[in-house]
Amino acid sequence: MTDQNEVKQASDVTRRNFLKGLMGGAGAAAAAAAFEVLADNPAVLLAQDDEALPVTGTLALSSAGEGGPIDVLERMRAELSRALQKPVAERRWVMVIDLRKCVGCHACTISCVAENKLPPGVVYRPVLEEEWGTYPNVGRRFVPRPCMQCENPPCVPVCPVGATYTNEEGIVEMNYERCIGCRYCITACPYSARVTDFGFTYNQDMPEAEGLILGQARADDYERAANFEYGKAYPREGRNSPIGNARKCHFCQHRILEGALPACVTTCIGRATLFGDANDPDSLVAEMIARPNVMRLREELGTEPRVYYLT
Amino acid sequence: MAQAVASPESRPSTGGTGRIKLRWTDIFIGLGVIMLIVGASGMVQRLTQGLAPTNLTSYVPWGLWVGFYDYLIWLEVGSLLVFTTLFYLTGASNLKPIKAYALFTGFTVVLMALIIVLFDLGHPERFWHVLVYPDFSSMIAWMVWLHAAYLVLLTVELALVLFGNGRFENILTILAYLSLPMGLALIIVSGSIFGVIATRPLWNTASLPLMFLISSLAAGSGLLTLLVVLFWPDKRDENYRMIVQRLARLTSILLAGGVFAAGVIGFTMLYKGSGSPIRAEGINLILSGPYAWSFWIVHILLGVLIPLVLMITMPRKPVIVGIAAFLSTVTFVAVTLNVVIPVLVTPDLEGLATAFVDPKLNVNYVPNLMEWLMLAFIFGLGSLIYGLGLRFLPLRSRHEEVNHG
Repeated sequence: MTDQNEVKQASDVTRRNFLKGLMGGAGAAAAAAAFEVLADNPAVLLAQDDEALPVTGTLALSSAGEGGPIDVLERMRAELSRALQKPVAERRWVMVIDLRKCVGCHACTISCVAENKLPPGVVYRPVLEEEWGTYPNVGRRFVPRPCMQCENPPCVPVCPVGATYTNEEGIVEMNYERCIGCRYCITACPYSARVTDFGFTYNQDMPEAEGLILGQARADDYERAANFEYGKAYPREGRNSPIGNARKCHFCQHRILEGALPACVTTCIGRATLFGDANDPDSLVAEMIARPNVMRLREELGTEPRVYYLT
Repeated sequence: MAQAVASPESRPSTGGTGRIKLRWTDIFIGLGVIMLIVGASGMVQRLTQGLAPTNLTSYVPWGLWVGFYDYLIWLEVGSLLVFTTLFYLTGASNLKPIKAYALFTGFTVVLMALIIVLFDLGHPERFWHVLVYPDFSSMIAWMVWLHAAYLVLLTVELALVLFGNGRFENILTILAYLSLPMGLALIIVSGSIFGVIATRPLWNTASLPLMFLISSLAAGSGLLTLLVVLFWPDKRDENYRMIVQRLARLTSILLAGGVFAAGVIGFTMLYKGSGSPIRAEGINLILSGPYAWSFWIVHILLGVLIPLVLMITMPRKPVIVGIAAFLSTVTFVAVTLNVVIPVLVTPDLEGLATAFVDPKLNVNYVPNLMEWLMLAFIFGLGSLIYGLGLRFLPLRSRHEEVNHG
């Protein structure tokens, strides 16, 4: 009972109350109370909204303890497991990016590069920086830009060989072996979410050296090792695919199928990137995309992106 | 038999006076060899390192080579559309002496265009995928199929003209009529490749494929005029001056009409209230951006104004008309380059160019030496094939040989 009371208390402490407490007349006392609660339950700060997340169903079995407030990653993992039990065609993966929480750390970009072993010049998820206004009334925001996995993807019909297509789960995939490298899809993407793999390697200008850990040959061992996009091994050899191909974000489909969240989601330090099955009405992403402050990039084009932004 | 109807280009190189006469076949072969040697390093880089040595980026995925590819389509199809229309539809049978030259020129240009676009692919060795796994929702699939079919048709037509000894006129007529819709489709599709891209406002207009057609006819008419001036068997023939004069008039009308149509479309796009500032920005980039010189000096001045003045004021002077046609034909490449490049160097999303710093993730593009060298190699190859064709193929018709030779 004591534990449950503490959890209840933690749930009642929202960020808004916390900040009010800090700035309000109650000042020190409120802050002390708040810090005390947060010290016991740091996950409260990771909740997605001003209100702590409700804890229901399977989520109560999360690692945070029965009934406790949980890291949204735990919730999303549980929802992902639930979604994977469903028939493939009934899933609808979406990504939600809360621009108010993105601090522009680029951790998602880097984790994506590491996960997919992206070579120089290939990036799936850059973080765009926008500034507007004139001093003193200026604004700045960071806009992570993965592939939008559009429901009406302009990149798909333009491919002359059908090398890019939308799979049953709504992810726009590439067939590297089929792609001829005409780059028509790149010109057609309204979000510049496709790039060309020109075949560069990070250590191509590195000097040759003897030894176990130095020199191009050793470094090559890592760089030439296969990545596992689309569940296949693509070692970086010669001019083989994906060199010469168009490449793009695929929501880390190879991870999803193993029950893991996309790399950019797990590494987001502010939990600004959410992922899940929008067809599950109880999922976090389904809640988020029903909000009035949701928007999508370049909606006027009718591409129906599956990446939503909270503003 | 082929030697019996040798072209004027294959006559001895010294005249009765002992002076060395420069022949077109030597010029094309010599130029071809020089360009092959100069451009070899570009081709070697392309073969060994793919597209990496180019200045193309992921945000500017098409550049010099795609611009030249479209330019060559304009030339090949435009010249043959004009020739076929005049020869078969309007009954201008006096153009017959130039028929084989027009077909052979078109054939060579088709080959060059296909080689250029082949090496623009990230995986040129997979070009056959378009033939085996085509997805006809793509304009590129249509273009490849049409282009391949056009090459076959042109090859058959050329072979029957050169080696048929006049026995296949009916088949040739059918093929020529077939080439008209096929050529029209090829030009419209090549314009539609850009026109259907909704995210690029400057491309995404219904008028673009039609502008491709008008431009192709203007460029092709210029090329045909040039072929007449260069290869007409008997330059003293009054028929020759008359044909040059008419072709000059036709080219002038097409040039002026094309500029007028482009101007109307451009002004409409520039209108501030049109609701598409990005489109206006694209037009401004062409008119006053870093590539503005190619539009104003290369295309408008050298490609339109000077040729128009020359062809209108001196239409009965074949050499002057030939110079005008040459200027107009050659400088049309500035148009295709201005269609392709300025649109792509305008980023889709604000902040994209600085989001992730890498030479291949920027929106600046100016073709580099390697790109020019590879292009020189392919033009060298084309020039060599053309020169050899002039020397060894019976391009000059037997009829003309008998009457004028």
